[in-house]
Formats: sequence, C-alpha cells, structure tokens
Amino acid sequence: MSYPQTNSTVVVDMPRLIRQARQARATCVQLAHDGRVGHVGSALSCVDAIVALYGGWLNVNESNRGADDRDRFILSKGHACTALYAVLAQRGFIPAQWLADYACYGKPLSDHPCKHALELLEMSSGSLGYGLGVAAGMLYGLSLRSVYPRAVVLMSDGECNEGSVWEAAMFAAAKRLGNLVALVDYNGIQAVGRSDEIMGHTSIEQKFRAFGWAARTINGNDMPEVVDALWSLPLEPDKPSAIVLKTLKGAGVSFMQDKTLWHYRVPSDEDLQNALDELGEVPWHLARRACA
Amino acid sequence: MKLAFIQALTRLAREDNRIVLLTGDLGFGVFDEFAREFGPRYVNVGVAEAQLIMAAAGMASVGMRPVTYSIASFATCRCFEQLKLAVAYAQLPVIVVGAGGGYAYSSSGVTHHAGEDISLLCALPGMTVVAPGDPQEAASLLPQMHSAGRCGYFRIGRGKEPACRSIIEPVLGKARLMQHGRGVAVLSTGEIASEVQAALDELRRRGVVPSWYQYHTIKPLDCQTLDAIAQRVQTIVVVEEHLAHGGLAAQVSNHFASRPSHPALIALNTGDGFVLGSPHKDEFRRNAGLCAASIAEAVMGIWKEPQAAHRAGSTASA
Repeated sequence: MSYPQTNSTVVVDMPRLIRQARQARATCVQLAHDGRVGHVGSALSCVDAIVALYGGWLNVNESNRGADDRDRFILSKGHACTALYAVLAQRGFIPAQWLADYACYGKPLSDHPCKHALELLEMSSGSLGYGLGVAAGMLYGLSLRSVYPRAVVLMSDGECNEGSVWEAAMFAAAKRLGNLVALVDYNGIQAVGRSDEIMGHTSIEQKFRAFGWAARTINGNDMPEVVDALWSLPLEPDKPSAIVLKTLKGAGVSFMQDKTLWHYRVPSDEDLQNALDELGEVPWHLARRACA
Repeated sequence: MKLAFIQALTRLAREDNRIVLLTGDLGFGVFDEFAREFGPRYVNVGVAEAQLIMAAAGMASVGMRPVTYSIASFATCRCFEQLKLAVAYAQLPVIVVGAGGGYAYSSSGVTHHAGEDISLLCALPGMTVVAPGDPQEAASLLPQMHSAGRCGYFRIGRGKEPACRSIIEPVLGKARLMQHGRGVAVLSTGEIASEVQAALDELRRRGVVPSWYQYHTIKPLDCQTLDAIAQRVQTIVVVEEHLAHGGLAAQVSNHFASRPSHPALIALNTGDGFVLGSPHKDEFRRNAGLCAASIAEAVMGIWKEPQAAHRAGSTASA
C-alpha cells in the first residue's frame, strides 16, 4: 500500500507560521479569560504544532470536507481546544466571531470540543485516551475501501497514563498503520503534578518504540523543528509515527511557563493584559472586529 | 445462539460489505469461516476491550458497520466509558455483542458474570438493548438491528440454548407473544425463555395457563404492550437473569409507576448479590429461583384465586 506524501511543492512561509503561532497564543489567552475556563497552559504548549499542521501539512480544505481521502486531525487532549479554535479561525474554517462565544451555552465552540456543536470536528474529545484508538479505527476502516489518508492525533503527556493509549498503540502497530501520527505534547506537567514523576521518569519515545512505532523527540515550541519533523513523516515505512514534542506548559507567556498553576487557572484582567503585551499580538476575532 | 449469531452475521456480511467483525480475542473456533471468507473484515484487536470499542467507533465514523464481540462482562463493564463516549455520544452504528450475558458463564465465577449488562447499556442514551431467547430469535433480530442503523447491545447466550415455541415472529422493539393465557402474564428476556417455557408446560398440565411475552427488546421498552397486558391481568411475573437494579423488572415497574393503577409485580432475578461458588448453570438457576420449577411455583402462588374459582366452577358443574 502507498500512503500520500506531503506535497513538497508547498512552500512553508516560516516567518508567517511563527507570527500565526503568536497570534493564536493571544487568542487562546483571550478565550480563557472571556470564557472563564482554565487549561490555557495546555493550549499554549501545543499551539506551534497545530499551526504547522494547518499551515500546509494537512490535506484539509473547504472543497474536500466530507471526502474519504481528507487527512484527519484529532485533538485528543480536548482541554486544549482554544488552540484548535484559534487556528481554525485563522485558517477560515470557522468565522472569527464564533471565538467571542467560546464556552457559551449552545454555541459551536464548547469547552472540550463537541462534534454535535461543531460539525467539522472529526470527533468529540475531553476524556483522555480516545483519539489514538478512534483514529486507528478510522484508518483501518478506510483501508478496507483502499483509501489511505493520514491521521494526526495530538495527545498530552498526562494522557499517556491511560491504558487505552497503549491498547491503541498496540493495535496501530499490529495493523501497520504507517499513515497514523501521534504527536505527544510533552509539556511535563499534568493536572496536579509533574508527568515525569507520575510516569516514573520513563521515556515516552522509548515506550512508543517498544510498542512497534517509529518515534523521535523534538523541541515542540520551535517552529522550524516542528515543520521539519512533520514534513519528513513517516519516520519509517509501514510503522505508525510518534513525535514527542518537548514543550513548555504555557509556552510564550513568561509568567505562565512551566507552572502547574496554569493548568487550571483562569487569567484575570491583569493576567490577560500582561500576556497580550508580551505576545505583542491582538486576538484573532478582536483584530477582525477592529478591521471591520 | 453463538452459532446462530455468526451464521446471521455471515449472511449480512455477504450483502453489506461495510460490516466488520471485531473480537476482543474471544470466540475460539466460532469465527474461522467468517475470517476465511471476509479476510480483513475480521479483526482480532487482542485482549483490549477499550480498543475494541474505539476501533469500532473509528470504523463506524468512516462509514463501516462494525460488530464487536466479547464475553458479555468484558464487552460492557470493562469498556463502559468507551461505549458511552466513543459510541453513544457520537451516535455511531456499532453493534456490541455480549456473549454469555447474565450468568451463562456461571461456573466460571463472578469475573465472567454479567448480571448488570442490561442495566448499564440501557442507561446510555440512544442505545438499543436486545436479549434474544433462543437461536432463532437471535438470527431474526440481528438483521433488524443492523437495518435500524443505530448503536445497540446484543446479549446472546453461550451455546446450546433450546428453541422456544412462539405464536409470532420476533419484531425489534415489540414484545413477542409466546403463549396466550389469562389472569397472570409472565414476561421474560434473554435465554431464560427456555426455563419459562418448561415452567409453562408444567403449569398447563395442572390447568394453569398464564400468558407469556418475551421482551427480547428491553430498550426501547414496548410500553404499549405493557399497558395492554395491564388491562387483562392482575399480576405480572418478570423473569430474567439479571440483578434487580435496572433490569427488565425495574423498567417495567418504572413504567407502571406513572399509571394510576397497574397489576401487582413479582420479580424473579438475582437480587442485589454476586453469585458466588461457581455453580453450573442448572445449579445457579435452582439456587437463584430461576429454574422452571421455581418459575412454576411463583405463578402457582398467585394463581390461587383463578384456580379456586375454576375448581369451584368444576365442583358446581359436577
């Protein structure tokens, strides 16, 4: 079987991606503040990966929505949804004004992504340990119809505590799903502790290797490294690929970085202003409103 | 019933190439022919029930029609959140087959009992819950569940379930009239149907003829038939291999609680206890009061008045 390769003719505009990541971070902090919902640290750590994926790597666009052979992106760490919403708005998949209603009752952008609210999602998420197993099922099901798109699952390091992740990892390797990619946002902090301590100081990369995957670790907050890693997938033919993204919780906002507090804390008015000043960007929906 | 299930599934799979059978490393020997005929549409995910359900959900979300198979306890309790979120919340057409539902594996110990499977699955929004009584009922209901195109739980036996006599064909979502009678109605679900049939055969010899309905579909519950039964009988006896909480009797009670008047209800089930001691199926049914003799005794116990009236009439005419 042959898997699609990333279109090498796509020219990655690196300065633009770096700017978009900064803008998306501003949007994340604004949404957490306005929606009175935490998890901003978890969103900030994985922004770069999502921006890079939608910056030309994923074969998804308005015209192939619903097509069997579109690539699938699944945010398995659903609590980081503001990062996904920020990028979907930047890329025009959702209207900018929807961001203003984040976490409001009955609106499309719910706290923890819900497919019933936002149809373009591949699946709902929020409870950890689901994305990898469901994505593996999607790819296996499509392979029965000789369709081989790629699926990328963005997971958290804490999520790798879940046994279901390793059940899925075993299945994906056994079925030789070379078109499956796990991105693990290894920001080192889970809900109430350091993930290394909870995992007994063991390597996520080595765990995936032991399960029959190809794996590597990169700096997940360095856009050129992220782009280089994504564009050189798959790591090995006929093996699922795991990229461990070494990141910082709260990356990009100095006072949130590497702090467990920012897993849950909702930014105050002052926190918001300080973060936006530091990022030097206006949240996406507010910038659009200013233009209008 | 396992054989009837796989034969029915094989027929369906020949007609519909979206069907995929996933097993959690169980069903030794049962799926050999299916695997030979359908190749990659038979998947053993290993001893990994969470992945069994997640993989099925993924397949269903890209247009396949997965059917998962495991022993009922592992197929339901072990992966309950996956059933809730990946299947029910996502509203995906996955059919979950629990083999040896209830206490079919009674001799294997509590780890292999599924006395709560109906209760758990009925709790999930949008889930159809079906427990056929014999192989013929299983063979008839599986294609109906497939056609319904919704998520569902299909509790089947372990093997060698006796066939039951019936008046009408099974229809998904409708209680199945198995025997006309009067005064008392017996309701059953799942493979305990054969014990009910043996009990009713014995009762008939004693001149006692209650009506009998097989509630193979527990959810959605056929409340229309319940209301019709309530018009005609004074007492309902519910027989099921299930715990007291959330089973057929509990759901029948729940329905009647909203009615101003209703028949008295006698529930024969396993109450609120684990079945210890690893009894063989017959021993279990005897101990739990679910064997034919116990069912007959329960009906006789409430048959007193019609029986007395009948005897009085006989004496007068003699």
